[in-house]
Amino acid sequence: MSDSPRQIKANPLWGFLGKTAAYIVMGVFAFMTIYPIIWLCINSFKTTPDYMLDKVGLPPTWVLANYVGAWTIGSFDKLIGNSILYTLAGAAGIIFFSVLAGFGFAKIRSRATAPIYGTFVIGILLSITSLMVPIFLEISQIDRLLGDLVQNLGWGKTTDFHLFYNTQFGMILIYIGSGLPIAVYLCTEYIKSIPDSLVEAARIDGAGYFRIFWRIVLPMAAPIATTVAIITVPNIWNEFALINIVVSDNNLKSLPLGIMRFNGTMSTDYGKQFAALVIGLAPMLIFYIAFRKQITNGVAGGAVKG
Amino acid sequence: MEVVVALTLRNNAEKRRAYWSFVTPAFFLYLLVFAFPIVISILLSLSDYNGGKMFGGTPWSIIGFQQYSKLFVDPSFWLALKNNVYIVLISVFGQLPLGFILAYIIYRKIVKWGEGWQAVLYVPAIISVIVLGIMWKLVFASNGLIADIENHLLATSFSNGLGSILAGAGGFHITDGVVQQILKISDPQVIASFANPVQDLKDLILGGGYDAGHLDVFKTEMTNLLAPKWSPDFMSKQDVAMIPIMFVTLWCWTGMYLILFLANMQKIDSQIIEAARIDGANELQVMSRVIIPSLSGVLANAAILCIAGSLNTFALIWAMTAGGPMNITQVLAIYMYQNAFIGAPNFPLANAISMAIVVFSLLLIALTMYVEKKFGGKEE
Repeated sequence: MSDSPRQIKANPLWGFLGKTAAYIVMGVFAFMTIYPIIWLCINSFKTTPDYMLDKVGLPPTWVLANYVGAWTIGSFDKLIGNSILYTLAGAAGIIFFSVLAGFGFAKIRSRATAPIYGTFVIGILLSITSLMVPIFLEISQIDRLLGDLVQNLGWGKTTDFHLFYNTQFGMILIYIGSGLPIAVYLCTEYIKSIPDSLVEAARIDGAGYFRIFWRIVLPMAAPIATTVAIITVPNIWNEFALINIVVSDNNLKSLPLGIMRFNGTMSTDYGKQFAALVIGLAPMLIFYIAFRKQITNGVAGGAVKG
Repeated sequence: MEVVVALTLRNNAEKRRAYWSFVTPAFFLYLLVFAFPIVISILLSLSDYNGGKMFGGTPWSIIGFQQYSKLFVDPSFWLALKNNVYIVLISVFGQLPLGFILAYIIYRKIVKWGEGWQAVLYVPAIISVIVLGIMWKLVFASNGLIADIENHLLATSFSNGLGSILAGAGGFHITDGVVQQILKISDPQVIASFANPVQDLKDLILGGGYDAGHLDVFKTEMTNLLAPKWSPDFMSKQDVAMIPIMFVTLWCWTGMYLILFLANMQKIDSQIIEAARIDGANELQVMSRVIIPSLSGVLANAAILCIAGSLNTFALIWAMTAGGPMNITQVLAIYMYQNAFIGAPNFPLANAISMAIVVFSLLLIALTMYVEKKFGGKEE
């Protein structure tokens, strides 16, 4: 497509030097990107003493014990299960609610659209990390209020009651809320491009709005739903700051929290730490290899005007 | 007529009901996660609330801007802000230009396998920064990968130096002169542990049972003992400790901007570039006159993403240094976290920091938008 302009190169020497420089730049960057990750993988097969002796080379004997050990100590089966739950429930919720709201904003005229939709667009600029302290206070105080109610009704003790804080439900709601601004924006703009006549024709045929949503809008929004999913899945999977303060129960934690534990008390057991890091990066790497095209398009399409 | 009016009214009522039932769930969740926390944060930052039950517990009241004035005289706040500004700067003036240049090289097909380079360079952006942070910590640590490579080099050069000293002496002849030469290339810290360096080392060598037939054994043991060793302190020294973090910040996200820029460059009509080339424009002129102006909107968006992200950086630094040692790698989000969750909580102060971050990001984003409006080119 765009290879024709290059044919008019004035100075071949310049062109050659430029090309060489470009290959060197690319090569250095690619090496810097990949080598540390390969280094990590290689070291995950060394015993800790072998690592201490030689941090660069291949392991003298390849051992799997690090993985076995890290897997049991970190209880990664549970953490990965939790991460899958948070990611899938979060992504599904974001897609559902944002297509729903996008349909409302794009196809049903209302004076409320301007202010509410505007609020969502402003939200794109806000980062949830900066609000982690007030979010924590909000959910723990709501839990206290509900807990008081529970206690007054004689169903249990205030302090034992948790609906949002330290629950999977609360965490998923927060993830959905934090992903909504960009998703609502993308879905609204996309649904605007669905012809009004389609909705109107269905209306004349006597279809209600909910029916139109299920039968027409949701299926037609599949491409934008894919984009939203592609942006959302890695975000939730890798999220750390919020879940770190919202969830304290080890049984509810996600993969990044589990890996962080190897950074603290076990940080001198290098073999297991390396294995834990590889376990931590593998799922997203596989996701990337499987959906590289879609991810690349999603990143380019999701980074929208603020 | 009446039927039509009745139908329209019913229709309108149904419309309104549908609208609100579509919009409300998303809006409610949005309020829960963004709007209410901001209100709570503003109120609490002006209050003397200090933990416990907010309603029906120990009474608390609004006391004014004390927390903010405390913040502005707190040296740790300024340190966190300074470090955070470093991160913003390396992001806006590092990630964006680098991502742009790399995207440009691929776009103009100056290198082959554009897809491949792009695929590789994006990898860090998809992996948890917790994993990457710990990984880089292991690379930069005082006994990490970099130190190990450098120490291998030092050992090799010591071993070579020892070889040439012995060659100069004509074999395994240990004289005072030879010992002095060896001392010269040795680790000063090891030498300092000798009371009488020349005599001690000579005794050590002669008493070690080495002989000319096994010079490699001699060299290895001497290298292990005497070769200079380096243990880098760039993760723990004031003013230097931010450099590894800035490097990793750059390393992590450049690929994302590469993809963003490349995708938008590919939307530019290639005939415009062709025409410019025919008119005699060189590669630099094509970039500055054609490509940058037509991407100014995208560049501004990228800058906004970049600012919002880097002002809120938390997890990466948490994994690498946790703000330490002695808080020298503190950034605003970590400073906020520490005030709220570590030791005795100071929620009003933490909320004041939270609001400071929000205000800073909005100010910087407004500035970016203003710059784009004023200097940006036309968009397709």
